[in-house]
Amino acid sequence: MHLAELLASSFRMAIPILLTALGAVYSERSGVVNIGLEGMMIVGSFWGALGSYFYGPYVGFLVAMLAGIVLAIIHAIASVTFKVDQIVSGVALNILAYGSSRFMSQAIFKMATTTPHVAGLVKINIPGADSVPYLKPLLTGISPIIIITILLVPISEFIINRTVFGLRLRAVGENPLAADTLGVNVFRMKYAGVLISGMLAGLAGAYLAMEHTGMYVEGMTQGKGYIALAAMIFGNWTPSGALMASLLFGFAESLSFRVVENSFIPYQFIKMIPYMLTLIVLAGFVRKSTPPAADGVPYERNAG
Amino acid sequence: MNNRFKIILLRLLSPIFAIFLAALISSLVIVFIHQNPLKVFVTMFSFSFRRIDSIAIILYNATPLIFSGLAVSVGFRMNLFNIGVEGQYLMGAFLAALVGFSIKGLPAFIHLPLTILSAIVAGALWSFLPIYLKVKKGVHEVISTIMLNYISFSVIHYFIADLLMDKSQKMLNGLGSPLVRMPKLMPTALMPRMREFLNMFGFNIPKHVYLNWFFPLGILLAIGIYYMLMRTPFGFELRAVGHNPDAARTSGIKPEKVYFMGFILSGAIAGLVGLSDLLGYFGYMDLDFPRNYGFNGIAVALMGQNSPIGIILSAILFGFLNRGAEGVQTFLNVPMDTVIILQALMIISIVIITKVMNDYIKRMEKREVSKNASGRTAGVQL
Repeated sequence: MHLAELLASSFRMAIPILLTALGAVYSERSGVVNIGLEGMMIVGSFWGALGSYFYGPYVGFLVAMLAGIVLAIIHAIASVTFKVDQIVSGVALNILAYGSSRFMSQAIFKMATTTPHVAGLVKINIPGADSVPYLKPLLTGISPIIIITILLVPISEFIINRTVFGLRLRAVGENPLAADTLGVNVFRMKYAGVLISGMLAGLAGAYLAMEHTGMYVEGMTQGKGYIALAAMIFGNWTPSGALMASLLFGFAESLSFRVVENSFIPYQFIKMIPYMLTLIVLAGFVRKSTPPAADGVPYERNAG
Repeated sequence: MNNRFKIILLRLLSPIFAIFLAALISSLVIVFIHQNPLKVFVTMFSFSFRRIDSIAIILYNATPLIFSGLAVSVGFRMNLFNIGVEGQYLMGAFLAALVGFSIKGLPAFIHLPLTILSAIVAGALWSFLPIYLKVKKGVHEVISTIMLNYISFSVIHYFIADLLMDKSQKMLNGLGSPLVRMPKLMPTALMPRMREFLNMFGFNIPKHVYLNWFFPLGILLAIGIYYMLMRTPFGFELRAVGHNPDAARTSGIKPEKVYFMGFILSGAIAGLVGLSDLLGYFGYMDLDFPRNYGFNGIAVALMGQNSPIGIILSAILFGFLNRGAEGVQTFLNVPMDTVIILQALMIISIVIITKVMNDYIKRMEKREVSKNASGRTAGVQL
């Protein structure tokens, strides 16, 4: 196996985690914990495949992002407007995503767990890649989503740290009362954070279905939404940190594919690697990172 | 006095509101696939309550949900979210299956309790790591238990498909796809069904109903948990930590210790979830062992508002919904997964409704207090 191949595959595996983790940064910086990311990825993968099946990949991606946003709106209504426990709401969304995808798949394709093959976007080949044989896996067959995702890291870094929107988002997550006193619309900012996270998680799900597998398969997200949350925590609630953490998880995942091919270790144990890694990362590093001060606490205007 | 009655009434009504709200929204989904929601709900009822055996099947469906609802609710009482019931019960069922088939020659009155005990132990052990990470390292229990769920799927897959697979089974089925399963449990490890017992009372339960003694055991456990929570010092500590860990600490309770004990108790209960299926129906463990009881338990605990009676009733409700869904799929061709959607919507509706009602109750109490304070100098009633 070539190193370049392993790197290329790490990158591809890291993309859905990174996209979702970036979304999680927006949501958590505004003070809303979004455990429903897994569900938003699930609906993204299903609706992406559905949209692509009927209208082509571009519509597929749009529909997937919309599906993620719809779930995010439910999460925002429940946890921001009605101030219910954010974890409970998120878990309910995951169940809703699982059930509704099965339901729709059964109703439309007469199969609960898969869709037919669907088209992805046209892949990009870097010109001249053939002349450098070792780097070929890295430079050819690149999905445009990969490029967009990588670009989103500095863009998000800029939005969160250098724009008025980002400042307000962070203020709402750190001290909503102070932000409210200064005239920032706390609820609107929280809605924005949650909706952005839904959109990106939906996109991540669509990437899995359309670019990675070429179809929707039930359970294809395999807990990547939760792993993305861990990546965001490991990355200390910053976009560039999330990038590094996602690459680590992507590497672990692609490594687990490689080891399966020739190994004495049972493949079930190799499949555990990403989950073990998540536990280890959280156990070892979570204390050093600092969440937004008001993360997970619903804002009540007239409390106290 | 009048207000207290009003509060109890609101508490009782909120699950009913949630059911209606969830049913209303899922009707839209049913309309979306060009079916008549009213017809779907009517079919659910008529299919479920036609015969006595249907009711027994509903109770059988409810059995694992009573256990998983109780397991989740013990966590909720401490303000911890045990979403790892899923993994804990699979590990429990696995160890029970192992003990059930590998130990031979024991009389049933030793073997069956031993099998049940091993499920409890496995569930408790599988809940140890997340609570350790929570208390010592500050890792949120939701993420760690979800990771352990995935790990448990792999562990079980390994043991069933590679290590402990029933080879004779593979030989027998030869050319067809062999059933990947563990060897059958000894008859001494199986839980007797309630059929003969119920037949003595004139209920005519047919053979295909697997309702077994885990159902009454689940009800007994619910009563036991209620007693533990409300009448023992540990139960008091558990609720105190759930309400306000800082206040509990000030009054001499060690929240870490309570979290540990309580979470492991939750895992131990979770270990029992799969046993009604394993010891009362299948008699062996395979790769298709029923899943999702852990997640259903979350809905059951929330709908039952963490009270043992509420949990039993909502477990039966979900048992009925699952039974009804089979009918709906068979007769109307509406996917069974409607029930999963319904369940998720119920969770969201119940938490929103409970929240709104609690706020209303709080406002009501505040008004009461200020009225009392301005009028007489009478004591504040709570």
